[in-house]
Amino acid sequence: MIPRHFQITVALVLLAILISGVIIIHMTHKEEALTLQAAEAAPVAPIVGGRQEHIQLLLAYDEDQALRWRSADVFLPADRNLRARETLRSVLAQYLQMPSPHPLAKGTDIKDVYFINDDTMIVDTTAAFADGHPSGILLEELTLASLIETLTANVPGISKIKFLVDGKERETLAGHADLMSFYQTAVVHELAKEFE
Amino acid sequence: MRWSKAGVGLAAVALYFALAVSGAAPEQHLTVYTSQTNYSLPVLDHGGKSYVSVTDLLLPLGATKPILKGKEWKFALNKAEVRLTEGKEKATIGGKQVELGGKVLVENGRVMLPMDTVLPLLGRLLNTTVDFHQPAMRVFVGNTFTRFTADFKNGDQPSLVLNFSQPVKPDANHEEKRGVLTNTDKTTLLFTKDPLVSDLKTQQYGDGVIQSLSFSEENGAALLTVSGNKLLQVVRSDDGKTITLQAQAPEVSAVPPPVWPSVPSTETQKRPLEFFVMIDPSHGGTDKGASFGGKLVEKDITLRLARDLRKELEERGIAVRLLRESDVDLSLDRRAEITNEQRAGIYVALHAGRPGKGVRVYAPLLTNPQQPLAGRFLPWESAQSGAISRSQTVARAVSDELRKKGLTVTSLGMPLRPLNNIAAPAIAVELAPDEEDPQSLESQKRHNNVAAAIALGIVQIRSQMEGRP
Repeated sequence: MIPRHFQITVALVLLAILISGVIIIHMTHKEEALTLQAAEAAPVAPIVGGRQEHIQLLLAYDEDQALRWRSADVFLPADRNLRARETLRSVLAQYLQMPSPHPLAKGTDIKDVYFINDDTMIVDTTAAFADGHPSGILLEELTLASLIETLTANVPGISKIKFLVDGKERETLAGHADLMSFYQTAVVHELAKEFE
Repeated sequence: MRWSKAGVGLAAVALYFALAVSGAAPEQHLTVYTSQTNYSLPVLDHGGKSYVSVTDLLLPLGATKPILKGKEWKFALNKAEVRLTEGKEKATIGGKQVELGGKVLVENGRVMLPMDTVLPLLGRLLNTTVDFHQPAMRVFVGNTFTRFTADFKNGDQPSLVLNFSQPVKPDANHEEKRGVLTNTDKTTLLFTKDPLVSDLKTQQYGDGVIQSLSFSEENGAALLTVSGNKLLQVVRSDDGKTITLQAQAPEVSAVPPPVWPSVPSTETQKRPLEFFVMIDPSHGGTDKGASFGGKLVEKDITLRLARDLRKELEERGIAVRLLRESDVDLSLDRRAEITNEQRAGIYVALHAGRPGKGVRVYAPLLTNPQQPLAGRFLPWESAQSGAISRSQTVARAVSDELRKKGLTVTSLGMPLRPLNNIAAPAIAVELAPDEEDPQSLESQKRHNNVAAAIALGIVQIRSQMEGRP
């Protein structure tokens, strides 16, 4: 016959194993959820290093129908492409925060930026940038002017810019502003002055 | 050499009989009228059945170019696909099988369909009403009709005044084209490009200078025939909305056929193209434009404002065309193509949007100004470059009139589609909700104010815009 104290010990050990199992499963699920959440929140492109710089951003303020220069501390890499991308992202970051002076849709981001020659740049945006952009002549033009002016102020030597949406050409941003053309930065500079 | 009246008469009679004896049947045409464009296509006889080219019929309506795969031709229009197979009597239209009542033919690389199929084909492809006056070979897409009233005035110099709901322009040289003789008994006006309809058959006015007016339709055109006992002078006025027929004054009565259009003849010779304003109610169909909460969307506001603007312009004697009359999809490129093809005098795009208040008037701004590459050709993206200074003039005039009405106005240059693709003076007018109250965008009083101001602005600068390419 098995002694009583031995039976109690075995039962306690089995109970401890069961409780440990439940706790481990729960913690695993929690960790997976946190990892997934972190992955979703991560930017499209990897975070780049660089030197922190104090730069000027031209931001749109819907309420005043105006563009205003604001300063921000941003890590900017030395590489020209990455510098352009991070500059544009720093503008979008201002619009994606709450409250926003010029709200844009969640998921709005810059996928890639590349030069097709020394002075002509292509900016490839996420689909959410155009799909979720509020429709309206002024709202759309303020977005483009803000991005182009901030870019030319911080990345010298750009004279023409074209926007793509998810790697493809699109007629307009949200029904109004032209996305088919190359924007001459000098023309946009004159346009932006009207709102400053 | 001077021809006597009798000689001219004999020659004309000889020509008439020569045509009749030769048995040369007049060329048959099908005419399609839409709010955007009117066009004619030849009707060909194959084994006693009338056929039309599908490409000629559908391409002007915005269909894609046909793609041939084996023996099957594919088109798409308004997201519906048309599949036609050579030699078959059935077609697939928008996923449904349709009997054609005749075989699909391919002639010189063109797909031909029996004319009887035009109505079911267009009815399934277009999101609007289609009326087919089959014996007359006239197709009306949407409510594109032009109607008229006739006012007979008796007296020393009897006249018949025809008032049309839209400006009309009868064919200038129809006598030559159709071999029809105009003589002292009859004056016939032929309307190929105008969607003229009427319930009138014949109206009698007695047995004087003007005896009767009759309306008929045939071969893709409408005809108004006025019978009388004298040669009639035809006078077109009110920008083509009025045509007056009256006995010629004695000193000019010896000159035979009516000069067309006759008022004001010297001016008309200088400007062969009729001035009209193309109004573009932006967005439409699946493209709703901006949303203002509830069911209030930009595409509906722009259409209502467009109708109000049309009324205001027409009241001021300016001819108007609308790019869309109903809730249909129309691409930005197509809007520019139609405006350029029809040689609009001025293009006005209407919008509604946040933020701010009042009205914003936009002139085009070329993002990448370019000079013509060679000759007259311009890149599509900067088609506006030849008209940009006139666009700015229009924008200034319209802004001034809006301010006079006490409205808050912002004037800007903007790189907008399709303004930059329009070869004529072009502006965009955007209505913003007052005090962020979206319901103000529906206010009829506000619409009337804005429409009247735009119309007044256009009236101010119209003389500077006419006669220009």
